[in-house]
Amino acid sequence: MSSVHSQKREKKMKDTSKKRNKNMKYIILFLVPVTVLLMAYFVYPIVFVTILSFTEWNGIEPMTFIGGGNYTRLFQDSVFITSIKNNVIWALSAALLQTPLALVIALILAREVKGWKFFRTVYFLPNVISLVALAMLWKAMYNPEFGVVNSFLEIIGLGGLARNWLGELGSALPATIFSYQIYVGYFMVIILAGAMSIPKSLYEAAEIDGANIWQQEIHITLPALRGVLITAGTLAVAFALRQFETTFLMTAGGPANRTPVMGLYMYRQMAGFHYGRAAATGVMLIILGVIVITGLQRIFGKTDVAAESMQ
Amino acid sequence: MAKTQHIKNSESPLQITAKTSKWIVLILYFLITIFPILWLSISAFKTNFEIETSPFTLPAVWQFKNFANALQVSGLSRYFLNSALVAVFSTIINLLVTSLASFVIAREDFPFRKVFFTFSTAGVLVPIIAFMVPYYTLATSFGIYDTLLVLIFTYAAINTPISMFVVSSFMTSIPFELEDSAEIDGCSFWQRYSRIILPLAKPGLVTAGTFSFIYCWNEFIYALLLTSSESARTVQLAIRFFTSQFRTDYAGLYAAIVLTMIPTIVVYIFLHDKIISGMTAGAIKG
Repeated sequence: MSSVHSQKREKKMKDTSKKRNKNMKYIILFLVPVTVLLMAYFVYPIVFVTILSFTEWNGIEPMTFIGGGNYTRLFQDSVFITSIKNNVIWALSAALLQTPLALVIALILAREVKGWKFFRTVYFLPNVISLVALAMLWKAMYNPEFGVVNSFLEIIGLGGLARNWLGELGSALPATIFSYQIYVGYFMVIILAGAMSIPKSLYEAAEIDGANIWQQEIHITLPALRGVLITAGTLAVAFALRQFETTFLMTAGGPANRTPVMGLYMYRQMAGFHYGRAAATGVMLIILGVIVITGLQRIFGKTDVAAESMQ
Repeated sequence: MAKTQHIKNSESPLQITAKTSKWIVLILYFLITIFPILWLSISAFKTNFEIETSPFTLPAVWQFKNFANALQVSGLSRYFLNSALVAVFSTIINLLVTSLASFVIAREDFPFRKVFFTFSTAGVLVPIIAFMVPYYTLATSFGIYDTLLVLIFTYAAINTPISMFVVSSFMTSIPFELEDSAEIDGCSFWQRYSRIILPLAKPGLVTAGTFSFIYCWNEFIYALLLTSSESARTVQLAIRFFTSQFRTDYAGLYAAIVLTMIPTIVVYIFLHDKIISGMTAGAIKG
């Protein structure tokens, strides 16, 4: 928002404040629907999930308060531990694989190479297709009998690597995470917009000074992109922590409970009518998100994603 | 033009390597992105025998009947209708609710205006998946479990933070002069919203509506959790049942999956610039 605009706004606000009493009832009326939705679907759930996590409840009989019992049970369950571990691996892959990949592509496209808009449109495409369709699609590609992944490996002479990707203990988690890498487009688009807003004159000046492309990227682009990179990285990690569909549909947590994530663990608890434990898992998921995201911002510097997205 | 000329004339080995590796990255990632979707779309036109024996070739004869079969076997047309109803009504409710609130936040002054804005958009960072239990109990206690209605309301609510952000930032950018003259002409509070600001905010509403539509069409977790019968089944849930429905008919399975992807891809083809700029506006300062 430009400062001229905000000054006009301030003036306008002062004018309206005179009419405040007259308009107040309309203002409240206009805010009621959104408040109801947010209270029902955001505020109430957070409160309810937190309270429920300290109780035992099957949805029918009255809740019984059991203190931290659900949490102790969760941490005694090796499947839950595996889920947390897998969630952390997913989050790390988002921070160390997805975001750098998005950065590299964005830096290339930001130089407005031939057809950069076309590439941008294509790279973003998977984001409008459902996770379900793409999970089913990758499952078909990993099919051990006639999946294209194995056929492709044979064609390029790496047939020895062919395997039942989703069925083997060692390869199932990496295979699901690999399939998720087609979702780089979203973060690429964010970084690209940031990179393209860097004044061109900076690069022209650097070129005159004899700086090559690498030096320009390292000394001009990367420092300017710091905030945007943290935003993109934080979003990537937040999405990876919520991931459910890919695991649910590709491996359903198997083989031998190697691939579950917290979302899937929660779903299983719900399906077994252990609502208290499901709620505790939800609380742990929120806490893990807060820990990982604040941890990231401790390491890479502070930018409040929420504040930034509200400019 | 002059700049590219300059670069071309003085190409060093470093620049040539940079140029080549740049195109390798672009094309490699292009293939990783597009190949799965293309492979599925082409396989949907093959016979089952071709799918099993020659995964990389084009079909000898394009089997359009796979799609007709898919529609018949899967009952997809009904789930299409369900998904369309959910997406359309959820988007309408979402836009109505958020445009009312955004109008007030962007154009009026009242106590705690900024606090309210933060409150209404903070949900973007909340992992919605953690609310499985409360959303389920909400649905059952209102007696709307396993209906399209529950999905309409749930999706409208989930999309509220992002729509609030998109619509209110758009409404804030509309010049105040327009409204002032309207007020002098005797426009009421409601008319300022419905006749002045709402029409002017149309681009913002289209962006928010597009996000909402795509989200609703693709949502899976809460469709899975909040519905159980076929009467409330959406296309994403249907995909999950395809595997058992089609058993060994992979061509039919692929055709059915391709059909479910068409609506959002069509929306994307027409509105990709709007979608991409709307996405980035949310994450970038200024």
